[in-house]
Formats: sequence, C-alpha cells, structure tokens
Amino acid sequence: MATVQIDLPDKTRTRKRNLLDFADWSVDEVGALFDTADVMAQVLTRTIKKVPALQGFTVGTLFFEDSTRTRLSFERAARAQSADVISFAAGGSSLSKGESLKDTLRTIDQMQADLYVVRHPAAGVPHQLAQWTDASIVNAGDGRRAHPTQALLDAYTFRTRFQGFDGFEGKRLVIVGDVLHSRVARSNVELWRMLGGEVVLCGPAPLLPPEMAPGVRHSYRLADAVEGAHVVMALRLQRERMASGLLPSLAEYVARYQLTEAVLRTAQDGALVMHPGPINRDVEIASEVADGPRSVIEAQVASGVPIRMAVLYTLLVGKR
Amino acid sequence: MSGRTMRAPGAQRLAIVGARLVDGAGDHGVGDVLLEDGVIRAMGVGAGAGAATVVDAGGALLTPAFLDLHAHLREPGQEVKEDLASGLAAAAAGGFGTVVSMANTTPTVDEPGLVAELVGKAARLSGARLRPGAALSHGLRGETLTDFAALQAAGAVMITDDGIPVTNSRLMRSACEYAAELGLVIQTHSEDPSLRGDGVMHEGAVSQELGLPGNPDAAEAIMVFRDCEVARLTGARVHIAHVTCKRSMQVIEHFKALGAPITCEVTPHHLTLTDAALRGFDPLFKVAPPLRAEADVAYLREALRRGVVDSIGTDHAPHTRAEKERDLMSAPFGLPNIEVAFPLLYTRLVGAGELELPDLLRLLQDGPADVMGWPRPRLEVGAPADLVLLDLETERAVDPRRFRSKARFSPWADERLRGWPTLTVVDGAVAYRMEAEAG
Amino acid sequence: MKLKAQLMNDEEVGRALRRIAHEIVERNKGAENLALVGIHTRGVPIAERLAGLIASFEGISPEVGKLDITLYRDDLTEIALQPVVKKTEVPFDVHGKRIVLCDDVLFTGRTARAALDALIDMGRPAVIQYAVLVDRGHRELPIRADYVGKNVPTSQHEVVKVKIATIDDGDAVELHELEV
Repeated sequence: MATVQIDLPDKTRTRKRNLLDFADWSVDEVGALFDTADVMAQVLTRTIKKVPALQGFTVGTLFFEDSTRTRLSFERAARAQSADVISFAAGGSSLSKGESLKDTLRTIDQMQADLYVVRHPAAGVPHQLAQWTDASIVNAGDGRRAHPTQALLDAYTFRTRFQGFDGFEGKRLVIVGDVLHSRVARSNVELWRMLGGEVVLCGPAPLLPPEMAPGVRHSYRLADAVEGAHVVMALRLQRERMASGLLPSLAEYVARYQLTEAVLRTAQDGALVMHPGPINRDVEIASEVADGPRSVIEAQVASGVPIRMAVLYTLLVGKR
Repeated sequence: MSGRTMRAPGAQRLAIVGARLVDGAGDHGVGDVLLEDGVIRAMGVGAGAGAATVVDAGGALLTPAFLDLHAHLREPGQEVKEDLASGLAAAAAGGFGTVVSMANTTPTVDEPGLVAELVGKAARLSGARLRPGAALSHGLRGETLTDFAALQAAGAVMITDDGIPVTNSRLMRSACEYAAELGLVIQTHSEDPSLRGDGVMHEGAVSQELGLPGNPDAAEAIMVFRDCEVARLTGARVHIAHVTCKRSMQVIEHFKALGAPITCEVTPHHLTLTDAALRGFDPLFKVAPPLRAEADVAYLREALRRGVVDSIGTDHAPHTRAEKERDLMSAPFGLPNIEVAFPLLYTRLVGAGELELPDLLRLLQDGPADVMGWPRPRLEVGAPADLVLLDLETERAVDPRRFRSKARFSPWADERLRGWPTLTVVDGAVAYRMEAEAG
Repeated sequence: MKLKAQLMNDEEVGRALRRIAHEIVERNKGAENLALVGIHTRGVPIAERLAGLIASFEGISPEVGKLDITLYRDDLTEIALQPVVKKTEVPFDVHGKRIVLCDDVLFTGRTARAALDALIDMGRPAVIQYAVLVDRGHRELPIRADYVGKNVPTSQHEVVKVKIATIDDGDAVELHELEV
C-alpha cells in the first residue's frame, strides 16, 4: 500500500493546496488518494457513515453551472467527514455569471470557508479564483477543460474493478465520442497518461481535432480504436451538436460510434465499459452493453463519494 | 485641420530647445523649435530664443506626434470605461496627437448629429485631436448604409463598422463604391463570424490544451480576402485593421502586388504577445481578433520590416476592471494600451534589433497619414505644432495607477520600458507633460 | 533523538504480555464473546500476540481487529501534516461484544479517546477495556488503562519507543531523549 508523507518546512503556516487539474500532482500523491478512498469507502459501509476528520472545517460549493448530482456528491463527501457545508448555486443572487469573479468571491469569502468546490461553464475560473483566496479550490468542472475528480473516480473504478489489477502501466483507455467538448476526456487523458497508461481517442473528425492531446493516438474508426482496450469509455453526445451543424444525423453517429457487444469483441478480456453519465441509452452506448457484465457505470457513480472524501481530506488536513 | 478655439496672435510662444529633430524626411540634427499660434514658427539652432515658455529637451528626440487610426474612446454611452476627456488625455500621454475614434458606441455613431456632438465636445478638451470615425451600417447591423456624405460633412474622416464584421458582401461592395466616390477610407474588421464562433482565443495547440473555444486564423484570412477583393473590384481605399496572422498577411501581399488600393494595420499587442498569454486564464488577454501563435507574430514582424504594413494602430479598447475580471467566456474583448504603445514597441522591437527606429516612426506618422490621404507630418516652418518629445534612454516601469485612461490596468504592468513620451504638444499647446517622479 | 535507556528487554516484554493475557481472561471470566482490537500501528501485533496467548491457555481464540484512528484524531497538526490513513479491519460485529483495545503506549489519552469514538461508531459493544504495554503518564483526558505492562514515569522531552517482533526486530521498550 503506497503511502505518502508530505513534510512541510513550517508547521504553523497555512499551506494551500488545490485540485485544479493534475499539473502539480505526482503519481505517488494520486496513489495515496486512492488508498485514502479505500478507507473512506469502508467508512461508508459502517452503521455510522461518518467520521469527525474534518470537524470544524467549512466547505463551500460554488456551482455556477447546475449539476445536482456532482454537487450532492461533494456535499455528501464533506458531511460524511463532519465538515460544515455552505452551498452557492447558479441563479442565486451571489453567483451571477456576468459579475466580476473577484468581487463575487470576495463577498462569498466573508463566510471564511476553508475550501471551495467550483463548477463553471468557462474554462479557467478555478485558476482565477485560486489567486484571490486563501481557501483551497477543487475544480468540479470548468468549461470543457478539466474535471479532475471524475478522472480520479474513473481510474479508481478501474483499480477496484479490473480483474487482476496490477497497476496502470501499459493499460489502454479508449475514449469514444464528443472528445472536443469533453472535460471528462481531457482529465482522463491527463491522469491516465500520468499513471503510465495509454489513451486512444475515437470520434467523428469535427469532434476530434488533430491538435487535441498531442502524443495520444486519434482514430475515427471505432473497431480499430477499441482493439486491445482495457477500458472503453463512452461520452455523452449532446443533441445540439447535430443541430449546430457539427455532425450529420444521430442515426449516422449511432451507426459509426455506438458501443455494442460486437464492437467490444476486440477489446481485452475483462475490459471494462465506463461512462461519466448520465447515459443516452442506445445512442452512445447500447442497452445490452450499459446493462451488461463489462459495464462498471454504477461502480463509477458509487466511487464518487469516497474519492471526493479522499480529496477533501487530503487538501484540508494539515491546513490548520 | 485645426478645429481649435481662436487664440490671440502672438499667444503661447512655446520653445523646445536642444532636441534631436527627426521626422519622416530625416534626421535634422540637434536644435530648437519655436511654436506659436498652433504652428512651428521657427526651427534650428537658437530658434527658441525669445519664447515665453521654454522646455529643455536635453537631447531627447523630438518628432511629429503620432497618429492613431484606431482607438475606442467609448463615448457616447460607455463612459464608465472611457470618455473623450480621459481617452484623448491618455492618447496624448502615449505621444499621440491625433486619434480616429471608432463608432461602436451606445448608440452607434451612425448619424451626423452624433459626429458633430463629438467634434464639438473634443474641441473644448486639451488632449490629442479627435477625428471621429462613423459607422458603415446603421447600428452596426450590417443591413443598411449610413449617410456617408452627411457624416463626412459633420466631421467624420473614416467609415468603419469596427467591432462587427460586415458579413454581407453586397453591402460591403456598395459601401466601397459609395465611399470611393467621396474619397473616404473604409476600415474593416475582417473576421468571418461563423468560423469565429464563440472562440475566445486563437485556435491552436494552446487553445486545445486550455480547453477554450478557439477562433481559427482562417476566419480572419477568409474575410481579409473578401475585403481585399471588394476593394480591387470597386477601387475603394480599404484599410484592413488589426491584421494578426501570417495567412492574412500573405493574402494582403498578394493583393498589393496586384495593385489593389488596400492598406493594412497591425496593433502593438499582436506584435508582442502570443496565445501563450492565455495560459494564466487572465481575461485581460482576451482580444478580437485573438493573440496568435509565435509563427504568426514572427511573420508580422517580418512584414513590418519589409514594408508590407502601412500603419500601427493601437485598437485601444478600455473596459472596467470588473469586466476584465469576469470568466473568459463572458469578459468583453479588448485591452487598453494607448499610453504604453510606443515604449512597448520601442523596447521590444527597436530595442531588440527587430525594427529600425525610422521604420517604427513611419508606421506611426507617415504611414497613417498616407492611409488617410493626409499631409505627412513634418518638422518644418509652417507645419502644425503637433509634436512629441521622446526619452529613449530612461527605463521606467509601467505604472497603471498613473494612467490618464480610466482603464488603470495593463497587460504590461510593472514591465520596464524605454521610449516614454515626456511632452506632447497638440496645436501648439502642451497636451501632456510627464510628471517628475522619484526614482 | 538519542537512546537513554532500555526499559524492557524481550523477555520482560514477553512476560508482561503473558500476564496481561491472563488478566484479560480473569477479568472477563473466560474468552467467550471476547475481541481484541489493536490500534495502528503497534497495537495490532500486540492484539495478535495477546489473542494467540489467550488461545494457547483457554483453547478459544478471541476475534482480532485492526483500528486506524487517523480520521478521529483531534490533534492532527501534532503529527505529520499529511497523516497516512490506514485501513480499519474489524471483521466481526462489535455489537454486544467484550472488546479490549490494545496499544503500545498510553500517554495523553487522546488516541484512546479517538479509538473509543471509532469503535462506538461501528456499533454498541457490551464492554470496552483498554490494554497497553507501557503507561508513561501525562494524561490530558480522564482515561485509564485496565491492563498495563509497565508504568514508566517520564518527562515531556522523552519518548517511549516500543519494538514488537512482527514489525521490528525483536521485542523491547526503549526510552529516548528528544534533542532540544
């Protein structure tokens, strides 16, 4: 079990750590997060699904973009560790999109939260906010740029559910769908590669630009892409991509890029099927696959809270 | 050309002594200029004798004040960002003696009455001269032509829908035909909106890395081609504003070789910043057209050296600080730069050996004058007394707190630059004087 | 830190554990319904040794569990700033059980308090008792051990280090001095 001590030179000074993406995170630190998530998962099986580890800390959720599922997952992760939670939701008076972010944050920071979980439709907002507060920032999704906790729970699901898991080195992740607009794809590419794995991106050409993820193999043919995969991840296709002239019809997309049993035959034995959810049944993923034995979609959802508990714990403990 | 209030004869005898006198005609050596009644009364060694006010240049460079054909002064309607008073004062602080203001205000400057109002107001101010631009289409909607002749009679010197591309080519053609007959220059904002989409930065490796919607260089090159072709077709003088990329510049070179009546402009920021500036997610660097890749910046600089570029225009685009602290999707496009434009270009281009000083001066003096068909600014007896004194030696940090502009922030804050204007004279009167500071 | 004295050698540790094992059986009137829960890190091999000893003279092996109290500490900043969280493995139902918490050193009592909270969050034991190899004094909470291997009076700038065979090489209890 890999464990990590982070020794800091000055115990008395608050040291701020963020999870904006994985740029300043190491493989060992991610491994430690997974180990902590194991512990947190176990806590959630007890009679009292709660520990006092973050008692006295305040976590604020700033969701400029609506997402009940993710926000509740973070709030649960905070409360399960006895932290206090303050929620600021989109559409509320505190979070208007057109306002100066600095002023918005200054007002919210009166609450003196120790950490903010931030989701925003524009990329870079968590970076902007991080400059203006001493609180830690966890990126819950910024535009199409990054969604690090999703990537963490995807990788964690692989770690716990792949038969004979022996590390990420040399394992192949194939991501299929609207890669261009997907922060889930970007974060998975970043994390998976950092952990020593290999990524293949597959989708229709207008949604898979050549300059995306340099060094990662691009494929426009699903059957080719899936060959030898350890994990195949389908992304949600939004209807507006067809409406805005980016793609031909839905039928064409389904014919060429839907994950079916037949397509998955060339993947590795024991390959897992993932989806960040919510799924468009029989669009990007056939029902037989979504409900089939390879699918770990429900495990992904279940791992959200333990992973987020581990993230909050790791960022907050040692702050005081 | 003066448009200023009448003075008593013999008033305001101002002399600048011991300056190195340089203009587009050449280096006239060290000497004095004597200014009276808004013109240069005498020039040469000892010419400053007998003046009421004497400024000792101490060997600094004295040259005609710069011409900016492209600045957003935000009046009427957006005075929280800037107004004529602050904008023209800022221009003077940047060494500019004349500014052509853009028309994308609230309301749009698309009626002669609005032009006249601006002219009247500016006449009572003491910064750079205002030469208003007027809109090509009503409300910048790109549907119907404005009354070019009436706008010109009211004082407009240029027709431009800058800010919004004219997408309808038939309208652009009619505008060009009409403007050609009146001798008016049309300045274009050349971008194809459908390709530009919701792009907030240059589409390339950096935009993909940052996960931000990109605006490809093809969006600009396509529209530059369209505008050049319409100019060739109609014979109208079309001035392509803010060219940012290699492809656009190559298109322009092609059309110039054919003899099309086109001219082009590059901005200070597109010559000194690349798309990498967006890595900090600071909306201050969100501009339209966007900051491009290194290869584009290199090509623009090379085009400057070859004389393909006719003028440097600032595209000074002030906003409130709060607006530039929004997220990258909702922050407005544009950055303020008029007070640092010359020092920035002098330090980064001339100082780095990328451009000769006479070429830089030409791009800010004779170049814009030629684009507009105005007399080339000269240091000679009888010429208008629009001058700037430049300290090419002293390095100073950019301090936005001292800006005259309302936009007291800058992408170059705290950078140490040389080539600061220390004195700007417009129409024979001091429009800007650098305050003495400690250190 | 430098070694000041050896307080117990391996024979002395062995004897103390055997005595404690007997005391546990005596106090609880046998090994029925008994469980030993070791507190990470060295409380765990202590619990395992005690369970083995009890099994050897009672013929019944008490259940053994491992408890990590990192998530229950109240003084996180006193230890490493990124405390490592280990797994808690209590593979039996604590409800109604007679549980003996095992640890190597009893000092301020805060670890014991955290362990009590963790255990109670898992269910409702019938009884919780507490066994330590060394009690070094300086309690900050009203906590006392039911079973003590050795009482050692110490000062604040001393550290008691316990070595246990399965983790370290050999059993011993050492007194170290913090270099000021």
